[in-house]
Amino acid sequence: MIGTLLERAARRTQAADLTFKSDETLTLGFDGGRLKSAGRLQERGVNLRVVAGGRMGFAGTTDTEPEPLLEMALASAAVGEEVQLELPRPQPLPQVTTHYPRAAVATLEELAQLGQGIHDRLTRDGCHIRVSVERSVGSVRVANTAGVDAGYDVSSVSLGAELVRIRGDDVLTIREYWAGGDLPGNADLEWLVGGILQRLQWAERTAESLHGALPVCFTPSGAEALLLPLHAALQGKALLHGVSPLMVRGRAITFASSFSLTDDPLLDGRPGSRPIDDEGVVSRRTSLVQQGNVQEFIYDLESAGRAGTQPTGHGRRTIFGKPQAAFSNLVVAPGEYSFPNLLGLISSGVLVDRLHGVGQGNLVSGTFANQIATAYRVEQGEVVGRIASGTVAGNAYELLGRITTLGQDAPWRGSTSVPAMLVEGVTVS
Amino acid sequence: MHNRLADAITSSRADYTEIRLERSWLTAVAYRGSRLEGANSSLDLGGFVRCMSRGYGWGAVSFNGLEHLDAMVARAHELSLAVRLDQPIRLAELPARRDDVRADLDGDVRGISLAEKQQLLDRLNQEMLAVDRRIVDTQAAYRDEVTEYWFANSDGTMLYELRPDVTLSAVALARDEGVVERGLESIGVRGGWRSVQECDQLFRTAARRAIQLLTAPRVRSGTYPVVLDPRLAGVLVHEAIGHMSEADVIADNAEARAMMTIGRRFGSELLTVGDDGSAAGLRGSLPYDDEGTPTQNTLLIQNGVLVGRLHSRETAARMSERPTGNARAVSFRHAPIVRLTNTYIANGRGTLDDLLKGIRFGVYCCDALGGQTHLENFSFTSGYGHMIRDGKLAELVKPIVLAGNLFKTLDRVDSVAGDFRWNQLGGGCGKGGQVPLPVAEGAPHIRLSEVAVGGGQ
Repeated sequence: MIGTLLERAARRTQAADLTFKSDETLTLGFDGGRLKSAGRLQERGVNLRVVAGGRMGFAGTTDTEPEPLLEMALASAAVGEEVQLELPRPQPLPQVTTHYPRAAVATLEELAQLGQGIHDRLTRDGCHIRVSVERSVGSVRVANTAGVDAGYDVSSVSLGAELVRIRGDDVLTIREYWAGGDLPGNADLEWLVGGILQRLQWAERTAESLHGALPVCFTPSGAEALLLPLHAALQGKALLHGVSPLMVRGRAITFASSFSLTDDPLLDGRPGSRPIDDEGVVSRRTSLVQQGNVQEFIYDLESAGRAGTQPTGHGRRTIFGKPQAAFSNLVVAPGEYSFPNLLGLISSGVLVDRLHGVGQGNLVSGTFANQIATAYRVEQGEVVGRIASGTVAGNAYELLGRITTLGQDAPWRGSTSVPAMLVEGVTVS
Repeated sequence: MHNRLADAITSSRADYTEIRLERSWLTAVAYRGSRLEGANSSLDLGGFVRCMSRGYGWGAVSFNGLEHLDAMVARAHELSLAVRLDQPIRLAELPARRDDVRADLDGDVRGISLAEKQQLLDRLNQEMLAVDRRIVDTQAAYRDEVTEYWFANSDGTMLYELRPDVTLSAVALARDEGVVERGLESIGVRGGWRSVQECDQLFRTAARRAIQLLTAPRVRSGTYPVVLDPRLAGVLVHEAIGHMSEADVIADNAEARAMMTIGRRFGSELLTVGDDGSAAGLRGSLPYDDEGTPTQNTLLIQNGVLVGRLHSRETAARMSERPTGNARAVSFRHAPIVRLTNTYIANGRGTLDDLLKGIRFGVYCCDALGGQTHLENFSFTSGYGHMIRDGKLAELVKPIVLAGNLFKTLDRVDSVAGDFRWNQLGGGCGKGGQVPLPVAEGAPHIRLSEVAVGGGQ
């Protein structure tokens, strides 16, 4: 079907490419002590892009009969922008493991045991536990009229756990999740469960809020407020439109020299791993920030064409949309401090684990002011209790410039690996 | 299609079986700056089957295409047998219905060419760019969708609906020196081509606001008396009361249930809140929910007292209440869960000026960039605001983050004005990975005696 569609497209267009994706996901939900729901989601679809009359068009369908797809894409091209799109040519694929047979064939019973095990280990009096287990098996095929025809299989497993403790009108919520290509190992489960129980223990006591410009240790989940703006700011398209706040008067701003950020699609078994992107560009590592200096922005085919640069292999396609540049796996280089030693550097400060409303508001500007969801007070290097309320505010880019120390453990949460970060002079009110 | 559905239901060995099928035609046009990002159409076809038997839980299957219905029913049944329950799931009784509802398409978008849709958005986008040379970037988007919808269950219900949805959204980015600000506007309607023909003002407003915010100061973080405009009051009622009224949140959680006891006092007598999926012509309106229950107007808070909550058939049976028609799914890819429709604060008395009077120093918060909630904790971000000085609106201020505890915040509602309006925005609500669900919110201006305000984003 794919070959025929591309052949028909080739006859009527200057260039065409397509991505075919299919997968089947099994989802198990545990709630209040046992398996509560089981669901299967089967999805497949084709996204076709054409260049006709110098203009780009695209279309998508989940119909088994993709017959109208070419006509839909041509109609889209008829009103599309003129574009210089250079399709990639075939190249050998780099080695990266994206499919783990053990995960792909795991039975419902095995996956249910996994979820029940996590659930049972978290169960405590006065706490409501929810756990989800998801396993997905699928394949991706990418082909174009320049001769690329590549495919790979994917497996993925993700675990989510939530503990809610309600005392009177006080609600404490602790969440964590894990995702990988293979079934989780003991260390992964230990990290997930241990992390939640550690936070619960920290929250056993409450502590008075602190105010002022303080040393703040962001946990990997707390650090989202600092890292999320970079997702938008490091887009080649933002640079092209002159709206990337990383460029001020033609020069890139710098961060703390301990801060390095890499996009790495070639790590075995991570959620964003792939040998080739959805536009047929083979994958490679991209150094985004090296020792505080911005190195590269990310480009898909179209933004690279407009910017007159090479695509970086970050094209991502859904079935219905237009290809967009998106990160694969983001890795913040870890530091040298164990977590207790990192906290030991704080005489009086705050450990921020989760903020409300991260990602709302004017993300790309980097400025944020978010209410604390879970945070803990640190005195003389020890967590002394949970801070019930308060606001953490600042500019993400400035704060990334004020990182003093990074933790040595950078756990994987989904497709990001981030260590704990100690930042000086964070406004807490 | 009715026969195929009936055959598949008959083939099921489960005690209860339901099938939803959807065929959607979608169009999207997007501009960024003066450049067309794309104009395209898509086809989305698929179905959802859910089965349940006594002593077992739900088994659910979703799939693309509309074939092999019998096999999908068998699969869902098999999955349901993996979930053993001590307490059987019960569904509230519902009379079987056969119905065929075709909403007024108000100019069927399927009959309009892609070129016409692109030209409409081009013109609206140009309106934004023309406002000021400091508008350095824009994002304009048009989306439409018509869905053919079939629902059948083993109780004998068989429904067919035609569901339209059209949205326009405007984002203007203004830049001056190092300052970057955004203005946002959107509209979403259950209508068609004719319903989005006069939206020029919306796009100009987004651009003008972005320019004005460039020189606007930030609010100093602190505690203020606050007046919310109808849009933000609508988001407050949606986030804070709406989500806490979804019975699936409370049915399984004894503490949450205690928190939401019927008869509990919620704020002052001024406050009346409801959710109305049956209101005519709103974005969250539907004749039936995704379990085939007719939608209705459900009072949640009446004069400051909790009087109701929102149900699916399952939560209604569990809590010995009646289903309210709030079981909704974003698409055939998902199971129906308890969701909001059109959530509102009922009208009070007086005007905005009446609310401002008596505030010596406070904040007027307008519009909403987003919000989220977890049980009684909520947080949301206003799009812009004004300081209130000596009972009058003063200078424009940058977006403001409001957060707090539901109960404390509602206790502080001390005035509800009489200028109610529905807000029909684009985008939609998210819960349990299902987003965006079309909803609407409605409210008059309301005043809170005291709210913690963050310095803004």
